[in-house]
Amino acid sequence: MLATLLAATLRGLEGRPVRVEVDVAPGLPGFTIVGLADAALRESRERVRGALRNSGFVHPPRRITVNLAPADVPKAGSALDLGIAIAILVGSEQVRPSGRWAMLGELGLGGEVRPVPGLLPMIAALARRGAGRVVVPADALDEARLVPGIEALPAASLAQAVELVRGRRVRSRGPMTRAELIPDEAAPRPPAPSDDDAWPDLADVRGQAEARRALEIAVAGGHALLMIGAPGSGKTLLARTIPGLLPPLDPAEAQEATVIASVAGEGPVRSLVTKRPFRAPHHTASYAALVGGGPRLAPGEVTRAHHGVLFLDELPEFDRAAREALRQPLEEGRIAIARAGGAVEMPARFQLVAAMNPCPCGWAGDPSGRCTCPLGLPDRYAARISGPFRDRLDLWVGLPRVAPAALLARGDGEASAPVAARIAAVRAQQLASRGRVAGRLAGRSLRAACALDATAERAAIRLADAAGLTARATERLLRVARTIADLDGEDRVAVRHLEEAARYRVPATAAAASRAG
Amino acid sequence: MLGVGRAGPLGEWRAGGAEPGSGSGSPGSFERARPTLHAPSAGSSSRDMPSAAGGCLPLDEVDAWAVLVAVDGIGPATLAALLAALGSGRAVLSVAAGTAGPRRLAEAIAGRGGRLDPALGRAIANAAQQAPVLVARVRALGIDVLTIESPDYPGRLRLLDLPPPVLFVRGDLAALDPDRSVAIVGTRRATERGRRIAGAIGGAVSTAGAVVVSGLAVGIDGAAHAAAVACGGRTVAVLGSGHQRLYPRAHTHLADRIVAGGGAVISELAPDVGAVPGTFPRRNRVISGLADATVIVEARERSGALITASWTLEQGRECFVVPGPLDEEQSLGCNRLLRLYPGQARAVPSVAELLEDLGLAGPDALPPPDVGSRRNARALRDRRALRDGRTVGPDPEAIIAGLGAAEASVARAHFPRAATLEELIDATGFAPATILAVLTRLEGEGLVVGALGRYGVGGALAATSPPRRRPRTEGTGAGAASGSS
Repeated sequence: MLATLLAATLRGLEGRPVRVEVDVAPGLPGFTIVGLADAALRESRERVRGALRNSGFVHPPRRITVNLAPADVPKAGSALDLGIAIAILVGSEQVRPSGRWAMLGELGLGGEVRPVPGLLPMIAALARRGAGRVVVPADALDEARLVPGIEALPAASLAQAVELVRGRRVRSRGPMTRAELIPDEAAPRPPAPSDDDAWPDLADVRGQAEARRALEIAVAGGHALLMIGAPGSGKTLLARTIPGLLPPLDPAEAQEATVIASVAGEGPVRSLVTKRPFRAPHHTASYAALVGGGPRLAPGEVTRAHHGVLFLDELPEFDRAAREALRQPLEEGRIAIARAGGAVEMPARFQLVAAMNPCPCGWAGDPSGRCTCPLGLPDRYAARISGPFRDRLDLWVGLPRVAPAALLARGDGEASAPVAARIAAVRAQQLASRGRVAGRLAGRSLRAACALDATAERAAIRLADAAGLTARATERLLRVARTIADLDGEDRVAVRHLEEAARYRVPATAAAASRAG
Repeated sequence: MLGVGRAGPLGEWRAGGAEPGSGSGSPGSFERARPTLHAPSAGSSSRDMPSAAGGCLPLDEVDAWAVLVAVDGIGPATLAALLAALGSGRAVLSVAAGTAGPRRLAEAIAGRGGRLDPALGRAIANAAQQAPVLVARVRALGIDVLTIESPDYPGRLRLLDLPPPVLFVRGDLAALDPDRSVAIVGTRRATERGRRIAGAIGGAVSTAGAVVVSGLAVGIDGAAHAAAVACGGRTVAVLGSGHQRLYPRAHTHLADRIVAGGGAVISELAPDVGAVPGTFPRRNRVISGLADATVIVEARERSGALITASWTLEQGRECFVVPGPLDEEQSLGCNRLLRLYPGQARAVPSVAELLEDLGLAGPDALPPPDVGSRRNARALRDRRALRDGRTVGPDPEAIIAGLGAAEASVARAHFPRAATLEELIDATGFAPATILAVLTRLEGEGLVVGALGRYGVGGALAATSPPRRRPRTEGTGAGAASGSS
């Protein structure tokens, strides 16, 4: 007998409804899946067989053909397990369904129903298709309830799912309330003490006045920032204060971030993601891990950092191809991944924060002259960052070694909270007046935002000439000056803002530091 | 060690010029041998239009020498042998470009008991074919060629045992033969303190009217050149590579400023010869040879500056050494020089005493320049102050006094040491944004150089002498920031 029900698969960040058709026919026992299934899906046969047997059902000793329609869409992952199992039960007349059903979930051999990555966009796709109700893994019920317009019913096991299909009534909890969506808003939780190590406060950072200032400008204006300094000078510590400085996501951004969190598959999503992501992949990360891809076209770090910060520590140590692949998302805010199986495009509008040593030994530019690298190596090390990539880094800042005396003697610096307040104010103002943060201004929008008076224009030309800046680098200067003026509460970019912005340009080379003087 | 030890005595170059109408001898033939670029009117049409390759080359002798030294493998010794065998550079090229050139060259050399590597013979023949191209290229680059026979060839170099036969010069030839010249050299891996001292000595020497000679390397050399340029003085950079392969490339701009400031950048290598390890020790003999005295500021255990020091002593010139802390590797070479050559290598206790020892202060000092001829009024003022014994080198207070109020506070706050923004905030009480903007303005004036979060003094400020740790009088007050690494 033929049985059909709805399920869904994932394509990039989008769900695609899939019709699961199962024909249980007389003949030699067999189990075939057709319809562009990937490896994980073909293995679904074994999971379904085990789950059926261990849940007290019979795996019918007949010819079972599973067709996944539409046949030309590649299907991936294990989210179709539950749908196939139920369809087999219906097809072999072990279960008589009440009405039409949609199913999502992976099966364990014991019949457990497990969460799958990307449940949120898949349910959203089913809702758009008009499915009225969907059975989801009980563990992922909260994630399913984020989608309005569809009834989500939890099943912890295949047996429970069968109960639902047979028509047992359960009380639906309905879509999420606002308090559930944004739990922090209803009851602001004080940060747990254990968080302190992971996300330090700016007050914990000693010295480094220039880098703190650059960080504030970068976060306020969404500018890409590169910190250059010896090991132990505080680059990583500073970067880790960023999550505490970022303003929360706005509702539209939160939707996107929640979808990405769901697809990223780091456990079921419990509520709307409102914190800006802060991703810090290790420098051994592969190309696919950074930009996305792999057999399932999974989102990479650039997409997971969408609307947030991507922190690349030890920038020159990253694989060159992976580093250069960041250029497209830095420019366009999205990443296109083309594979033989088709192309997907994923959002990737992140703020880049990077850190590097001035040379492999880390001491280039130190006043003691104790860098042990061969002469010229610091220059070559810095040259690993290609010109086009340099042009996309708005702020460059050096972190000199902090003398032990200063480390111990100096009082705490300004804490994160007041800095975060200034940042939030500037961001809000930039979005209100120009629709985007200054870090994303370019060309005409930049010129409109940075209308210079005659004096300031002369200063800008002088500064750009003196530094031999390219057109791109001059734009960079203007962008940064725009944010500095906003922090200063000024409508117009003045000479002093340009002069400060000029401080954050590319140093000629790391070795320039040791030549200085 | 240079592989040129077998070169004939100086007279042999001259002997080579016996061919009538060329080479050395009468002042008239010197005149003919002058390169054309600094005296373009001397050029004749035949020289401006070099013919294609062939036996008859309308090149003059200077050009012929330049073509020959550009051949990879020809050093002073081989050049001397070729000139001795064939009479003149033009004759060498003409033979080489003719039929069976390499064989005839080898025969000529063999006739005088020498031996010419067949590959080198072919290379010379090839160069002879290409000669007009190379000569045109040197001219197009604005490079003057001096041979040891040219009247402008630096007199101090002629006195060497092995003077470079040809010099390629960019800049003012007069800078090569000044009344007084002092070489300042040291390690490329300098400390901040070492660069400051090199700047102070360069500034003081330059203010006193002497030419600063160095090697354009990063570190000490660069600091000395930059200080001399900042003081409006002349300085000569001796390259270890050809002009078109200037090394380090990061100093291309500094080289341009040296030329613009009335100094010169010179090399004994043809424009397209790259730097290889061996060329630098060889270059060092030219640095010490161009100077009356050489000052070593910082040298590590096996620094190239020590080679310059040994050349200095071998050439019978004065050698001064800035002693350093025992626990700093950048000073080990300097301190060891003082131990190994007592009575020859002289310690530098202070910049003022160095100037005295160099004969640049006190009764032997150079007379102040003519007001009208100076580009820089400040340099003149500084020179007068130096003569009166009021200062050593440019006066930092005078420079700082010429700045705006905020700029002056920031400049004073980190003079003479490099400082971080943190230290500048502590010293001035200004907001970070204000100081950063001021730093950009000071950088525009050339008074601050900064990289990676540390801001050092630059330009004329870097050419001033660092105050003593304990100022005797009220002084500048900047000495309060004490305790360098």
